[in-house]
Amino acid sequence: MKKVTGSSHRLARMRSKNRSGFNSEQASETSSRLMPVSHFRVFIQCMFCIGTLILGFRLTTESSFLKASFQNPEASFTRISARTDSSASTGTESQFDLQLRREFANGSKGSRLAYNGTIVHSSGGVRVDVGRHAILIRPWPHPDPFEVLHAHHLIKRVQLEQQQLYGSKESKPIIAITTTFVRTFQAVHLTGLLHTLSVIPVPVTWIVMEAGGVTNETAHFLSLAHVHRLLHLGFDIPMPAGLNERSKLEAQMRVEGLRYVQKEKLEGVVVFADEGNIHSLEFFTEAQKVEWVGAVSVGLLGFAGFEESPQSGIVHVHDGRVEARGNHILLAARQAAAAPRFEPQVQGPACDSNGNLIGWHIFDPLPLEGEVHKGMRAAQNRRLEWANFVLNARAVWKTEGNQPEWIRSWDEWANPEDGSTPDIKAIVRSDQWVKVLGNCGRKVLLWWLRAEARADSKHPNKWILDESLEIIVPAKSTPWPRRPVRRAAPPPPAPAGGTGMKHGAGSRVSSGKVRRPKRKQDQTNVS
Amino acid sequence: MELAKVGSLVDCCIGIVVVEEIMGGFWKLRSNNSWRKNVSFLMSVGLLLLFLCQLSLATVHHQRISGSAGDVLEDNPIGRLKVFVYELPGRYNKKWLKRDPRCLTHMFAAEEFVHDFLLKSPVRTLDPEEADWFYTPVYTTCDLTPNGLPLPFKSPRVMRSAISYISMYWPFWNRTEGGDHFFVVPHDFGACFHYQEENAIERGILPVLKRATLVQTFGQNHHVCLKEGSIVIPPYAPPEKMQSRFIPPSTPRSIFVYFRGLFYDIGNDPEGGYYARGARAAVWENFKDNPLFDISTQHTSTYYEDMQRAIFCLCPLGWAPWSPRLVEGVIFGCIPVIIADDIVLPFADAIPWEKIGVFVPEKEVHNLDKILSLISLEQVLEKQKLLANPAIKQAMLFSQPTLPGDAFHQILNGLARKLPHDPHIYLKPGQRVLNWSEGHKKDLKPW
Repeated sequence: MKKVTGSSHRLARMRSKNRSGFNSEQASETSSRLMPVSHFRVFIQCMFCIGTLILGFRLTTESSFLKASFQNPEASFTRISARTDSSASTGTESQFDLQLRREFANGSKGSRLAYNGTIVHSSGGVRVDVGRHAILIRPWPHPDPFEVLHAHHLIKRVQLEQQQLYGSKESKPIIAITTTFVRTFQAVHLTGLLHTLSVIPVPVTWIVMEAGGVTNETAHFLSLAHVHRLLHLGFDIPMPAGLNERSKLEAQMRVEGLRYVQKEKLEGVVVFADEGNIHSLEFFTEAQKVEWVGAVSVGLLGFAGFEESPQSGIVHVHDGRVEARGNHILLAARQAAAAPRFEPQVQGPACDSNGNLIGWHIFDPLPLEGEVHKGMRAAQNRRLEWANFVLNARAVWKTEGNQPEWIRSWDEWANPEDGSTPDIKAIVRSDQWVKVLGNCGRKVLLWWLRAEARADSKHPNKWILDESLEIIVPAKSTPWPRRPVRRAAPPPPAPAGGTGMKHGAGSRVSSGKVRRPKRKQDQTNVS
Repeated sequence: MELAKVGSLVDCCIGIVVVEEIMGGFWKLRSNNSWRKNVSFLMSVGLLLLFLCQLSLATVHHQRISGSAGDVLEDNPIGRLKVFVYELPGRYNKKWLKRDPRCLTHMFAAEEFVHDFLLKSPVRTLDPEEADWFYTPVYTTCDLTPNGLPLPFKSPRVMRSAISYISMYWPFWNRTEGGDHFFVVPHDFGACFHYQEENAIERGILPVLKRATLVQTFGQNHHVCLKEGSIVIPPYAPPEKMQSRFIPPSTPRSIFVYFRGLFYDIGNDPEGGYYARGARAAVWENFKDNPLFDISTQHTSTYYEDMQRAIFCLCPLGWAPWSPRLVEGVIFGCIPVIIADDIVLPFADAIPWEKIGVFVPEKEVHNLDKILSLISLEQVLEKQKLLANPAIKQAMLFSQPTLPGDAFHQILNGLARKLPHDPHIYLKPGQRVLNWSEGHKKDLKPW
């Protein structure tokens, strides 16, 4: 308010100034006959008068803006609309201005309801518009592409600023090693992983090892990734069916990947980004902190025994001594009677209160109820996953690595003489040199999603159906028992005479085969 | 900013011209036209005086007390004022709380926490003779429905009863008829004690509170329910709940505009147009398809985390212009987009809201995407930098335990700035200004 009165003062003075300017001009003309230097004075006075006129004109426009936005604490927005209006009037119209003018003109047409405001006069003589107001909808309520582009630029720039202010100062490149093979759920896992790796702010070298050789299907997915460098290497042995053999082959593939790092002398942080893992971006910033070898906690999702208490599966390993927490089956039965509690299973380093590594949490999966899997129990794989570890790339260099002496040399740990599978933990001679990341293992930075389709499930190549399906083959019934999933409400009744899709069949474990409805016109629906 | 620069430039020019005129006046002294020269000389002297006056006015132009955010916010009120807390019987405060402990967690909980703070604060004095301000702890917003919404129907009677109590047992009310008393009234429309705007305007501020200072969350210019000299405070938001949900600041902000809440109040205004004066409905109808706008009525459990991933957070008016979204936006670093005409934001004399937030007039809501995409990058970064200032975040919170610079201290700062009291508030003994029989018939019944 004070600003407005100040400007009006100035306006008044401007007008009086101009009037007095004319007076002084007439007076100066009479005196100019007396002295020649008065010519110069007249000239100066004219210049100042013109200057104040011009600036005064600017000031009047500013004050009119202020008056228009008197009730508006932020004056720049009415200024925006007024500016576009004035530019429209001068003829320099962009498409944006045209649209804005059209909308302003059609504002009343666009309103949904007629304005029916009742104006209440309060005792203070103040007008407040209470009552029904119009809901203003513009005639084309859709985003304008230029604005969207501008907004995205803004977002990108804000993120860059955030990265500079709060991001980690070190930006070592990340080397991600992934093993994959063509199967039904490869699309699910690989798509998630490639998008995660594409948004990491540091340069990423992605080494993909494929069991069974390089295939077009995997290449099709990998082409979507935006990484600094992508390596798609093939491993000629196809992926075996048994879990034990699979883990052995995967270990060998990862060693091959590390061999590539060693050969090319790549620099950075080596991360074992498995396909089925969900990484948070924090994981990659934490991984930057590693000096030689680091360990992180991996959470587990999708393990069996969700309803029953999963506590019984945790086995602690303290330097070779195994401390099992009770007999698995008995404990499970006892705890099944108790109220189910969900505690996330976490595999990774265990710290004491001082922050020193004292042991490891290892996941031992509960067998399914009434099921016996061949080889599952016998595996008793008391090993940590490769994903739990993060390496400095120099740790696998053969020469010029300047590795400290507590890191085993490549030949020692990667090619064990007895032919057993290489274990990543064996890269250090003793646990004390392992750096625990993620708030001493308390923060779970990545999650292992153990969800896979049946080994014999079929899927369309690259998930593209080239021609419509004509032959309908029912899915094989699975050998897994139909476990009722507890719901909050009873399942909705199947629609009578509907499309034939069974809504109540959600409890059935997906077998990877898509159930086709009987009606021909719904054949194009892919559920 | 540009206005100031232009103004100073114009002042320079005016100054030069005026000096020219004066010199010209002196020169004309030698010429023959006497009366003309006198008039022009006087005019130029007058203009010079005006110019000097205007210069002095220019320095007082700022409505803010001091330039940057954080200066005034860090003032320490301890030692600058003394507050006496009346001891009211439990039926005015403790009993309401015992009846419904939800009063401590809803957005009107400021009245309880201010009482608690003042009882333990060093500004409290047990000697009322030396007190500058008097506080009456009466919880008028604690009569809750089963749903948790406060009913204001008894509040005027409760307030009148409390005031008649303190006027009976202490002489200080009658000394000034409330001129040095303050009350915390955090309800929708402050001391108008109604949740519907029409009724609130019709009732006006409770007549017995006409001379007292009101500490309220409601603030709107040119509105009956905002008295001159009121202190506008933020609504209560639980500080522990918000501070436990911080995500790392390096998480990139990928949402452009974020809002969660109602657009249509189906229960009270099914056709739309009354609720929020149609502004929220306009936001929905215009931007529900816009991918830049993450707006919905769905309750999400990641509300606080999502706010920290958003650049702009909408704070539109509802039935009342204020909302806790402003507090949440400031705490989580999300630039508040305030859609409420004439709103007076909390601690507006200490926090430069125009520099922090974006104000959109209600009639421009349908162009919100244009307005937001026209904001330049430098402005956005500047606003985010101001929001990162911990002083502002602290000023919005009613921290438990109290910390320097938090909302309690800002209230005390506001009270301290109003000292010393105008000697006119002190009435002569026996002089009565307030009319106790003024107001609605129902409010006059004793409680």
